[in-house]
Amino acid sequence: MLTVSGAAVAMFVFCFVGAVQEGLQRLTTGIDADRCLIVFQENRFCPTSSRLPEDYARQILDVHGVRDVIPIQVWTNNCRASLDIVVFNGADPDQIRRNRPLQLTAGSWENFSDRRDAAIVGRNVAQRRGLNIGDQFSIGNVSVKVTGIFSSTVPSEENLIYTSLAFLQYTRGVDAAGLVTQHEVRLTEEADPDQVASEIDKVLRSGPVATTTRRKGAFQASTLSDLVDLIGFAHWLGYACVGLVLSLVATTTVMSVQDRIQEYAVLQTIGVRPMRIMRLVLAESSLLCLVGGVSGTLLATVVLAFGGFAIGAEGATIAFRPSLSLVLTGTGISLLLGLIAGITPGIQAATVPIVAALRQE
Amino acid sequence: MALVQLNGVSKRFRKGEETIIPLDDVTLDIHEGEFVSLMGPSGTGKSTLLNLVSGIDRPDAGTIKVDGTELTSLSRGRLADWRAANLGYIFQTHNLIPVLTAYENVELPTLLLKLSSAKRRQRVELALEAVGLNDRADHYPRQLSGGQEQRVGIARAIVAHPRIVVADEPTGSLDAESSEQIQELLKRLNHELNITMLMVTHDQNVASISSRRLILNRGKFTEVPSTVV
Repeated sequence: MLTVSGAAVAMFVFCFVGAVQEGLQRLTTGIDADRCLIVFQENRFCPTSSRLPEDYARQILDVHGVRDVIPIQVWTNNCRASLDIVVFNGADPDQIRRNRPLQLTAGSWENFSDRRDAAIVGRNVAQRRGLNIGDQFSIGNVSVKVTGIFSSTVPSEENLIYTSLAFLQYTRGVDAAGLVTQHEVRLTEEADPDQVASEIDKVLRSGPVATTTRRKGAFQASTLSDLVDLIGFAHWLGYACVGLVLSLVATTTVMSVQDRIQEYAVLQTIGVRPMRIMRLVLAESSLLCLVGGVSGTLLATVVLAFGGFAIGAEGATIAFRPSLSLVLTGTGISLLLGLIAGITPGIQAATVPIVAALRQE
Repeated sequence: MALVQLNGVSKRFRKGEETIIPLDDVTLDIHEGEFVSLMGPSGTGKSTLLNLVSGIDRPDAGTIKVDGTELTSLSRGRLADWRAANLGYIFQTHNLIPVLTAYENVELPTLLLKLSSAKRRQRVELALEAVGLNDRADHYPRQLSGGQEQRVGIARAIVAHPRIVVADEPTGSLDAESSEQIQELLKRLNHELNITMLMVTHDQNVASISSRRLILNRGKFTEVPSTVV
């Protein structure tokens, strides 16, 4: 029981670490990360410090390969790394509806468009902050009316709150009339992202504010670079968990074989082949590990699915979500560890000197 | 031809600096249907001989043939196969698997043979009937008395229809009444089923049920006349 629960806890942590890494990978790779560019103020990193003219959008739209441009004002309650980060994205409601992979689970787009201080809230934020349709949500100088709650196929979207661009621009403390934090550029199918990015910066170099344009994935990786390093380090935590499970199950199996060495000798005396004895031990250790590992993996899946966990910094967020690959990896690793843990005690049980083992009390 | 043939068999053990030789150039034939008791003081090699004939130990010299198969040339795996098909072993301390019922313990050896489930069931039921424990088939070892456990052990030893049954002090851990029941059972199995038996015992009374008695001392055998009718 102790071994199973230990394995469950270790695999729970392993899956959590895995979910963080998957979240980071989702953010920095994939179609959205590659086929979308972010135009940001040159040499700026925090959203509050990047202030680009809103009408840069017209110039960017003229660049070959650009399909659409979304000016976005970003406001966050905390530029530093936090588990309870709140990020507002102010943009044109029609553009949000057209370009973002959002599905409203409550409320309506019409209410969002009609009201200046309306906001649609990502499912994770709504869960974390206990928000429902009709609630007034205030944080800092920003106060919005919740007119919609959305889910998204892109997990990090569910950590955002969308408002109209004008509302956020004119919010006290933001004071960004005519300015935006960034322009999000949607490309045509045949456009080369890096070439278009370079062209945009060239075009805007003559403007009042110089820009750095990058693929969205690269931009987010750069924004979260501190977290990326930490998450990379957490990789080792995952390995440590795997090592813990291995040593737990191996120890239990070794002790179990030692306790029952006489039984194994009796089985061999009756005529059970040594290889079969080894398979018995391997089956036992695998089952032990599988029960614990799968329990931990499933528990992590449930917690991740309903917990709405995310971490963010400088306006970018990483969502921790369960995935089929995580479940399969957790299960596969549990099985593999069980087999590995059973090898040495299995060999011991299979090759035990029968006479000596029979004499043991 | 004898069922069991030992030819020039020796076995040595090292005990610290000392070398102990319980069996020294032993030659012995046991014929089919015989009930042989091995007797002698403690440490004289009785159990060692039993273990060699069972194939769970190997001699340092000599050959051992059982029913034409030379055990000394078989690998560990092949010896296990041979035991499954040809040998029944009755342990002194029963050595039943505690998480299996009496039925399941007796069934174990049959799982190693190529038998249909119906045939397997038939054999197990017959074996339990032979030892008088059909009504205890679904009991676990902890729910059985010492004598009943040993009877399950005997059923397990005969269920695969072995060529030879070896018994290492089969009554050693039993009270007088249970011991007598086991003796009767072994005698009956030998007579009615013609099972060849090789039994180690230090008890003259128990040895009296056998048709042949061998005293082992200083690595050599002496045969004594049997009083069994």
